[in-house]
Amino acid sequence: MAARAIWKGSIELGKHQVAVKMYSAVEDRTIHFRMLHRKDDAPVEQHIVRKDTGKDVAKEDLRKAFALSKGTAVILEPADLEKLIPPQSRDIHLCRFVAPSVVGDQWYDRPYYLGPDGDDESYFALVHALERKKVIGIARWVMRKKQYVGALSELNGYLALATLRRAEQVLSFSGIEPAKTAKPHANELKLGEQLVSSIAADFDPQLWQNDYRQRLIKLIEAKARGEKPARHVPKKVKPQASLADSLRASIAAAKEKKVA
Amino acid sequence: MPKPKSRRAKQPRGAKPAVVPGGGPSVRSFWSGTITFGLVSIPVDLFSAVRPRQTAMKLVDKSGHALGRQYHCSKEGTKLDGDDLVRGYETDGKMVEITDDDFASVAPEMSSDIELRNFVPLEQIPSLYFQKPYFLAPAGKSAKAYHLLAATMESTGRVGIGSFVMRGHEYLVAIVSDNGVMRADTLRYADEVRTPESIGLPKRSKEAAKMADQFVKDIEALTRAELDISELQDNEAQALQELVKEKQKNKANVIEESGLEEADPESGDGAKIIDLMAVLRKSLSKGAVVTNARGGAPVDLAERRAQKKATSTRKAPKKKAARSPATKRARSG
Repeated sequence: MAARAIWKGSIELGKHQVAVKMYSAVEDRTIHFRMLHRKDDAPVEQHIVRKDTGKDVAKEDLRKAFALSKGTAVILEPADLEKLIPPQSRDIHLCRFVAPSVVGDQWYDRPYYLGPDGDDESYFALVHALERKKVIGIARWVMRKKQYVGALSELNGYLALATLRRAEQVLSFSGIEPAKTAKPHANELKLGEQLVSSIAADFDPQLWQNDYRQRLIKLIEAKARGEKPARHVPKKVKPQASLADSLRASIAAAKEKKVA
Repeated sequence: MPKPKSRRAKQPRGAKPAVVPGGGPSVRSFWSGTITFGLVSIPVDLFSAVRPRQTAMKLVDKSGHALGRQYHCSKEGTKLDGDDLVRGYETDGKMVEITDDDFASVAPEMSSDIELRNFVPLEQIPSLYFQKPYFLAPAGKSAKAYHLLAATMESTGRVGIGSFVMRGHEYLVAIVSDNGVMRADTLRYADEVRTPESIGLPKRSKEAAKMADQFVKDIEALTRAELDISELQDNEAQALQELVKEKQKNKANVIEESGLEEADPESGDGAKIIDLMAVLRKSLSKGAVVTNARGGAPVDLAERRAQKKATSTRKAPKKKAARSPATKRARSG
């Protein structure tokens, strides 16, 4: 089933524009539950109430406040919030292009695919250009009254636009210098590399399933049929030895596994 | 959303004093466990590697009274407590009640291990798989093994892939070494990632060759070696903060802050990176420096507030603690 576009925009590059449709690149597989009243299984309603009186507050009386230091906060009136809304635009502005490795994984937030919106030739021309240059674009755009920062890239022969976290959110380290006693010896490093290469593989996400989600779905289905679901029995193992011994034993075990 | 009754995730072995005396769940939202690969095991502590945006707002009424959320039965109209609630799932028009025991019966084994099953080249993991980054710090006497794994992954250009259980959920994770510090970056599962085919994007057709050449030139003209942090900063948060400061100066709408609840319940993540710097300095290296990408030190007023709040929540009764993001996440599959 084809997915529905969530937004339409236009990539601005040089003198050209490429009209695109935006699609979520992720599928929500989360199992969402409803909150019920235990006694009668009726769905619950959420009311916003005053904490001191417990009385309901009408929707038009609701406000948001931004907390400052020293125990104070400032209420934002609807007119204030209006002022903060960025001007509406369909433009996806490209700030610069960089090598993909310049943007670490920790920046990536939500991924989207972009599809052509009427002009396939320009769209695939841009895909082609990004493939040739092997770079990603840092983009800014306004979508549904909010500003976004993102990375435009070529992915599987199409354009992808992932939102990025803001600079204020991403933490990084420098000056990491292990204490003398914690510095691994050269022979340990060599053993470590041997061990890593003994279980080296290609990335294959299909190998991993969310077993918990599968069990939860089965449980719900069983209960819907009126059956009593089988209990899941966990397993447990635990090795422990000195670092070098563990490395050696692990390499030996990995080799044996490969032969078998 | 408060959780119905206590469906507290059991703490993994070796976890920090996570359980408050009252029996409520932990407010320290990090995880302690052990990375294992082969027969090597490295005890680690886990901390969020990203801060929430500085845009979170509190819920108040016109005159600044603190507001909260209260559940009512849609049939009886009565007020409900946490103990009156239960989760339901609607399937084929039928509502199935899922009790705490049901959840417990399918919960992942309470392992505190991140077992690395293989090491893959980092560049093979498409960016759309990455979900949330956490810093790993060596715990106990594991500093040497920690540095060994970090150095080995950096020299081989590979990252460890494994899975682990946190707050009753099973996460697929890539253990990445970045400048001597290891991160556990959670990954999406394959069935959560769409493909151009599943979206229904049109087959690749002929491109405008001349335009492709022009695009290449345009891209070259804009290509740089480094990022410019000013292009990545949170302009919205800055505009919001300026407006708020302006209003404060004019003494407009200034209220008492105590007891206010987050307007967006999902944004209450502030307590996550308390003493991150101190912890990592102590366990990793005395000279370690933590910064955010903008260059500022990560500990600022907002976090000190979060810290203060976390200290007070630690003594809070069960019901309040139940609103921690940890239990919110445990709600869904």
